[in-house]
Amino acid sequence: MFSQAREIAAGDVVIVWFTRESLKAITITPGEELNGRFGAYRHTDLIGKPFGSKIGSRNGKGFIYVLRPTPELWTLALPHRTQILYVADIAFVVSWLGIRPGSVVIESGTGSGSFSHSVARTIGKSGKLHSFEFHDTRCQTAQEEFAQHGMSEYVTVSHRNVCKAGFDLEDVVDAVFLDLPAPWEAIPAAKLALKKTQSTRICCFSPCAEQVLRTVSALNDSGFTSITMYETLLRTIDVGSYPPLKSVGTVAEKLKDADVKREARRVKQIEESAMRAKEKGRKKAAEMGGQEMDIFGESEHPHGQKRKAGEDREANGQSNTPQEDDSEAGPHTKKPKPDGPSPLTLEMVGHLPKSADCKLTTTSTGF
Amino acid sequence: MASAASTSISSPSFARTHIKSGDNVLLRLPSGDYRNLKVHDKPGRITLGKFGSFQQKELIGHPFGLSYEIISEGKIRVREQETMTELEDTSATNELINDGNFVQPLTYEEIETLKKTPGVHSSEIIKMQITQNANYELKSEYSKEKYKKRKEAKFLQGFSILEPNMFNICEYLFSKDPQRIRGIRADSLGQMMSFANIHPGARVLVVDDTGGLLVAAVLERLGGEGRLLTITDSESPPTYHVVEQLNLNTTEADGTMTYLNWAEIEEEWAPVETYEPEEYRTHSQKARSEKRHARAEDLRKRRDEFWAGEWNALVVASEYEPFSIIERVEPYLAGSGSIVVHSPYLQTLTDVHQKLRAKPQFLGPAVTEAWLRQYQVLPGRTHPMMNMSGSGGYLLSAMKVYV
Repeated sequence: MFSQAREIAAGDVVIVWFTRESLKAITITPGEELNGRFGAYRHTDLIGKPFGSKIGSRNGKGFIYVLRPTPELWTLALPHRTQILYVADIAFVVSWLGIRPGSVVIESGTGSGSFSHSVARTIGKSGKLHSFEFHDTRCQTAQEEFAQHGMSEYVTVSHRNVCKAGFDLEDVVDAVFLDLPAPWEAIPAAKLALKKTQSTRICCFSPCAEQVLRTVSALNDSGFTSITMYETLLRTIDVGSYPPLKSVGTVAEKLKDADVKREARRVKQIEESAMRAKEKGRKKAAEMGGQEMDIFGESEHPHGQKRKAGEDREANGQSNTPQEDDSEAGPHTKKPKPDGPSPLTLEMVGHLPKSADCKLTTTSTGF
Repeated sequence: MASAASTSISSPSFARTHIKSGDNVLLRLPSGDYRNLKVHDKPGRITLGKFGSFQQKELIGHPFGLSYEIISEGKIRVREQETMTELEDTSATNELINDGNFVQPLTYEEIETLKKTPGVHSSEIIKMQITQNANYELKSEYSKEKYKKRKEAKFLQGFSILEPNMFNICEYLFSKDPQRIRGIRADSLGQMMSFANIHPGARVLVVDDTGGLLVAAVLERLGGEGRLLTITDSESPPTYHVVEQLNLNTTEADGTMTYLNWAEIEEEWAPVETYEPEEYRTHSQKARSEKRHARAEDLRKRRDEFWAGEWNALVVASEYEPFSIIERVEPYLAGSGSIVVHSPYLQTLTDVHQKLRAKPQFLGPAVTEAWLRQYQVLPGRTHPMMNMSGSGGYLLSAMKVYV
């Protein structure tokens, strides 16, 4: 089954790995070319390369891996003609049925041949797989495929509706696997095919609970014992793809920083306001002919100052920004909003020595 | 490799369908417990405690997988397997059922006397308990069935013999002590064999700290063709107890198996040369020297075989750090070869996964977990089993490529 040689030869089936999600099975045919997203590969260039080689595309932009086919890789690369079984189910069924080198096994239906390849691998040349498929074209395709994969010696595919015509086998098989819409119809025939002088096993694969229950009664009626049901899955663990999470310690530091900045901002605003008032006073004085104004006195009356700061902002069209520079509102306004991201605040903190930190906080608003 | 040894293996011990003298057999008792023992074709009683005792040679020649009842005088009889019966739905509930000593007037002493009375079959004792049970008729049909089953688990004189396949062996070991097999559940073991593409004729490297569970599973899948080399942490040849369960004959196992330790696989290392005198004074001295030479020669051959490389798979369930294993063995793996590592700990494997991703010669590393749920499927009584293991461990798989 498949080439066991070290190097690839003409006529070999090779699994081409583009990415983890994109695999393709090809038969090495001199003269043919394989096209990938990032370039083309001549089949002739693969001949003589060991299985498992990395091959660059002819334009030098892409690369592929050429792998030795295994039933598992084949299952990922195979052309789907039907719904197929995947490795978790296949591995479980093969081991539960006790299939091993030399086993004689029945499988129906053949479908896309996913399960057939695993059984063929395990029973080896000393075993025998009788596969049955009721769809004519699928049966022929499977026959051709199995021949190409070097399995025909011990795998036969018959075109037959086993639910109506049975298996035409008696007292010869160790294990039966039924993947049919109505497996209960094939159970009496399966009983006939199973060896009579030893304990044997049967497994029916059904997606629906109702099918399972009908199968269970049919198995019971045919005298099968120790009937049980399994459900199995393969959970792929996503390694390393979760986002690195920050410690809340960083949040605490950020909040503390914000607190310091807010206070600095407030002081700055007071100063600026005082400056403006001073300027105003100066202008007024100039208008009124050099009359002096007590600007410092006004800065000592925060309520008056507050109103002015608010008016200033309104004038700049930013009345909707949080009023967190409101120095009189008390501690409850120190909400965990370190980034208070208004252009105004940014502009103002721009004067602080730790301006880089401040930019960082304004971008991360996802708290 | 595969073609070199394509002669088919159809020896009876690989068929392993019937019990022969000297075989290891796994017995399941009515209580659900297991018993693991050897049977011989000679007189001798096997005692199963309260479930009775029987003559061991009675089993020889029987197919594996049957259930028996012990009749008398150590004789056994194949028990007709019960088929399931549809139970009638009644309106009975436990509304009026009260527990207490009055429910079962049959005392422990009376039951014990009955058990010792010759000619009284265990099924009769169970029947007596049922007829005397004050609440039995109040029970629903489902409850009656459960009561009967519970009594059978306690009083039935009999046992079942399991087929000696890896699924059953692994289930037995897992139920006995999962830690001794590093938490490998039967379905995980099956997945390992699939991921590693073990098939007749394959050349497989195994690092096994599970008492031989992996070695046995690989041997079963090789079917006498191919090669299995284990790498060990000990100076002496390894012993893998689980392999005995497969009842292979020695040539089948030894012909396929070989071993080296972690020092012996290193190409730079050479064993310390032994001192040899110029002349042998005695005959035995010469014989000892020849033995030493033969041993050295054998080791050299085993090392050459390992270094020749082109191994198809590396299968690991070890107490040692997996990356340190993969790192040392990788140069000897064939292109497109499989690497499969089992661990009961996810953390161990995610660490290895990160390390493999940084190295271009490992393709498609993936960490997976097998999930399994078993159901009781009886007419009108289908439900998941009550006691199931949460995890069968984690698997890391990858492929070796040439870059």
